[in-house]
Amino acid sequence: MTRKQRRLTMIGGALCVLAIAAGLVLNALRDSIVFFSTPAMVSEKKIQPGTRFRLGGMVEQGSLKRGDNLAVSFTVSDGSATLPVTFKGILPDLFREGQGVVAEGAIDPAGVFKADTVLAKHDENYMPKEVADALKKQGRWQEGADGKPVIGVSDSAQPKPVVTQ
Amino acid sequence: MIAEVGHYALVLALALALIQATVPVVGAYVRDAALMTVARSAALAQLLFVLVSFGALTALYVTSDFSVVNVVENSHSLKPLLYKITGVWGNHEGSMLLWVSILALFGGLVAAFGANLPLSLRAHVLAVQAWIATAFYLFILITSNPFLRTLNPPLEGRDLNPVLQDIGLAVHPPMLYLGYVGFSISFSFAVAALIEGRIDAAWARWVRPWTLMAWICLTLGIAMGSYWAYYELGWGGWWFWDPVENASLMPWLSGTALLHSAVVMEKRNALKVWTILLAILTFSLSLLGTFLVRSGVLTSVHAFATDPTRGVFILLILCVFIGGSLALYAWRASALKQGGLFAPLSREGALVLNNLFLTTACATVFIGTLYPLALEVVSGDKISVGAPFFNLTFAPLFVPLMLAMPFGPLLAWKRGDIAGASQRLMAAAIAALIAMAVLWAWTSGGASLAPLAIGLAVFVIGGALSDLVERTQLFRAPFATAMRRAQGLPRATWGTVFAHAGVGVALIGIVCETTWNTEYIGALKPGGVATVGGYALRLDGLTQQQGPNFRAQIATFSVRNGNGDEIGVMTPSKRNFTARASSTTEAALLTRGFSQLYVSLGEVTADGGQSVRIYHKPLVLLIWFGPLLMAFGGLLSLSDRRLRVGAPKPAKQARGLQPAE
Amino acid sequence: MTLWFVFALMTAAAAFAVLWPLGRGSRALISGSETVIYTDQLAEIERDVSAGLIAKPDADAARVEISRRLLTAADSTRDAPSGVSLGSRRVVSVLALVGLPAMAAAFYLPLGSPHMADVPVAARRGPATVNQPMDNLVAQVEAHLEKNPTDGRGWTVLAPVLAKLDRYEDAARAYRNAITYAGETSDRRADLGEALTGVANGVVTSDAKTEFERAAALDADNAKARYFLGLATEQDGRGADAAAIWRAMLAKAGPDAQWRTVVQQALARVGGAAMPPPSQDAIAAASGMNEGDRTAMIRGMVEGLATRLKADGSDVEGWLRLMRAYMVLGDRDQAKRAEGDARAALGADADGLKRLDDGVKSLGLNG
Repeated sequence: MTRKQRRLTMIGGALCVLAIAAGLVLNALRDSIVFFSTPAMVSEKKIQPGTRFRLGGMVEQGSLKRGDNLAVSFTVSDGSATLPVTFKGILPDLFREGQGVVAEGAIDPAGVFKADTVLAKHDENYMPKEVADALKKQGRWQEGADGKPVIGVSDSAQPKPVVTQ
Repeated sequence: MIAEVGHYALVLALALALIQATVPVVGAYVRDAALMTVARSAALAQLLFVLVSFGALTALYVTSDFSVVNVVENSHSLKPLLYKITGVWGNHEGSMLLWVSILALFGGLVAAFGANLPLSLRAHVLAVQAWIATAFYLFILITSNPFLRTLNPPLEGRDLNPVLQDIGLAVHPPMLYLGYVGFSISFSFAVAALIEGRIDAAWARWVRPWTLMAWICLTLGIAMGSYWAYYELGWGGWWFWDPVENASLMPWLSGTALLHSAVVMEKRNALKVWTILLAILTFSLSLLGTFLVRSGVLTSVHAFATDPTRGVFILLILCVFIGGSLALYAWRASALKQGGLFAPLSREGALVLNNLFLTTACATVFIGTLYPLALEVVSGDKISVGAPFFNLTFAPLFVPLMLAMPFGPLLAWKRGDIAGASQRLMAAAIAALIAMAVLWAWTSGGASLAPLAIGLAVFVIGGALSDLVERTQLFRAPFATAMRRAQGLPRATWGTVFAHAGVGVALIGIVCETTWNTEYIGALKPGGVATVGGYALRLDGLTQQQGPNFRAQIATFSVRNGNGDEIGVMTPSKRNFTARASSTTEAALLTRGFSQLYVSLGEVTADGGQSVRIYHKPLVLLIWFGPLLMAFGGLLSLSDRRLRVGAPKPAKQARGLQPAE
Repeated sequence: MTLWFVFALMTAAAAFAVLWPLGRGSRALISGSETVIYTDQLAEIERDVSAGLIAKPDADAARVEISRRLLTAADSTRDAPSGVSLGSRRVVSVLALVGLPAMAAAFYLPLGSPHMADVPVAARRGPATVNQPMDNLVAQVEAHLEKNPTDGRGWTVLAPVLAKLDRYEDAARAYRNAITYAGETSDRRADLGEALTGVANGVVTSDAKTEFERAAALDADNAKARYFLGLATEQDGRGADAAAIWRAMLAKAGPDAQWRTVVQQALARVGGAAMPPPSQDAIAAASGMNEGDRTAMIRGMVEGLATRLKADGSDVEGWLRLMRAYMVLGDRDQAKRAEGDARAALGADADGLKRLDDGVKSLGLNG
């Protein structure tokens, strides 16, 4: 083979591999990515039952119920809409009512979001970025100086125990 | 005074870096040896001052000097000494200081042990190194200064995130940085070669030890990070395709490709232009990794508190260095002379194939990591690209790579004999087929992919051993001859064998863990028994304990094997840190051979049961044992005497460079 | 002064690092070259051949190739760096002697704080102890307990002190340990709940509420627990229910109960009933210490507070608290003196002074 032929062989081989890789990537991008939605977007976009997506929002206060065999149900809210969620398994350490959460799964025909993963947070101040953005858009997010959500404590509640006598 | 001395030392390091970035280049231009040598002493002095600076910050953490803002925000006077020290790089500012310290360390090493380099090449390499250093010193001083003080020092600091109070933090980031930053040397060599307009086989040998060093550290760093996530995060996963993990995997893939293409260049003076490009890309990916973690464009476990100015600054550094070096490449690469010829079926051909697959795999990771960002900018849709994407793209590309891997070392340079190589791999192929058949029969039609993958892994390991057998002529020559030949083999050959076998070993671990992992998730009451993977775990009791800054809920499990013999006690716990109102899960691990039992706790259920996750993970330790083997192979290769020759004073300097011996 | 001296030394060292190579002649300069590598590659082939690792024809081909490279390299050996550019060297010397210090100063002066001394924790706890007997004592007890974490009595002593120092998180931990190691009592549970409430800036969190409920379960008449349970109810927005709880407390208690005024005040707040004017001695009264203990504790606290205010006088509330405490201890002169100190410390802080005046008026110090 001449130098040119060798070169062509190699370039041809490289193009083949790249074409295969591109095919794999396009195929995977079609099938295996999941979109992120908030409860309001779910009703807006009319997401079909069975489509996998990531649901983000706040866990509504008082909505967490534990059933038998580690089954749990709670409601995710984004301020304007809510969506019931069921999950079976162990919730992450920092799962709390009133805190942000991201769950992955699909809606069943009854309109309940069946989650197979509830994402763990690794910091008490950490708010999933998608959730923060979505809440900001709706003006539900007040940012404190250090990025924490501001919890209003009315002064009338109770003077903190002071050093008087 | 400590804080101010550290601060001033950092400023001086910047000033020295600026001098080191310019004077040697001028010196090379006017061909004045003294000016070129300024690079060397400036690099050493720069290293000294950065070490003073880093030492000062460490001292501030150890003495808990709360007049320094960075210490207040990340430390606490009652924290154990070890975590005070590791806390230095557990935050953004401190970790950037560690980053430049390692950069200066590599510059200093080139200055100290680079006497075998032509003077002008060394001057250029160190100058390019100083350009990078200057950019990062400015970044630290302007946007992330760890030495800023507060006029009203508080009495106590804010403590470190409890998840980060772990020995894993002590070693994982420095190791990873050694890898990331180590590739800056290959980058500097590449840019220096482009500036000088000459590059030849010798260049590859000069760069090789540095690339190898960085690669070893990155391999170990990634493996440690993975093991840390495995036992600390409490859900038994060891790789999440998290963007930041991907950010460390990308330079590893292209760095591995670089190692292999540099061999072709060293031996055959070929693939020169490609090797230069790889060197530039590898470091660019390291910089990209730094950008992704620091800028806040991605959310991840690892993301430090972020700040837009920092992101913009790093993006600027990224554009200047990647854009600048690629522009230089486009301008100068065509001037480089073509190298040796080879047939597609040859050692060179095999290494080209290796490069092709590794870089393509790297590209798929790149797409999977950055596509969500691009899509969000373009259409506003938020998506997540997770494990399914990578399983569908990354894995199929690795299969042909691993199939071809055993052939490479058996092929001759220039023109290889594929039939002969296949013949020599017969034993390995037979072993692989037997492994497949046995597994197939044993699992009786379960997952069909798993036996195939294990067969592939056995083929890779067998191939590595065949190469060894071939070279020592074991089984053909008398044993004593074979041993003598084994001793005569270059260490680099041994290194190849170990590293390639390591890939196979890791694959076995990965396949076994993902396929035959058994788990139990449920609630247990004291006295309750869960059976997982042939082991019976009995919950003996739950206790409360008070730690230094947390309360722990501890469960005690006694473990019995299939015969009913008690083989151990496991005590997973859950820690509540009142100061930060957060909790961590401490998983308990019980190792049996290379397999592990893994127990982590969930919350207490309404009826008083303790929810637990129990996994039996067969051969899981092989996942990390494989990278260890690879790194060991790298060390062997690094200690090869061939990498040490060429220095005017070889004996003395070589010893300093090769601590492995 | 020492600092500037150290800076000067460091700058000199940096300048020296740049100047040093300029002063040395070129004789000491070592330069590597490609030819060394190729010679070594040739030797390597010889070794491989003699070890039988490569075939003869391959070796010959490789030898030819490397020799060719060797020749090319020898031909185009980088011209020995012969130039001596005195002009450039002079420029570099000036750069090292003037440019380097100037650059360092330009960056350091706006960023650094050369006037500030080190403030390591050890130094602060050391000499400062003379002025801060309270803090010192607490630190000692804490150190003792760190070594003996199962000393229940120690935790019992420490916990209320921490709570008074506003270190509620630590206090809560101490109360928890006291409960673990010295046994559970209704009072300890209630105290723990109070500390947790302190952590949340006065909000009775669900954790705190749990503790009060446990305390009430142990002793249905625990006044503190019941008061805070009422408060929790109020914070839940059920003012009427809270009032009912507090009314029941008052009905049950004798007229001399120390916490009476607190509850009456709270009741007034939720509109339950008109009650006598508010009294300041809120929480401490509810904690039900005996008189001697309380006076001793207060004296300790007051000293600590006075020392703290001497160091940082901007805390108006702190000054008022201090004056109030002196008044309660019957030391009107001290209170007056504290008022003078406060005015001096607040200086030009008009807003602070106004608040101080209001506070002083309500204390009745001038009247």
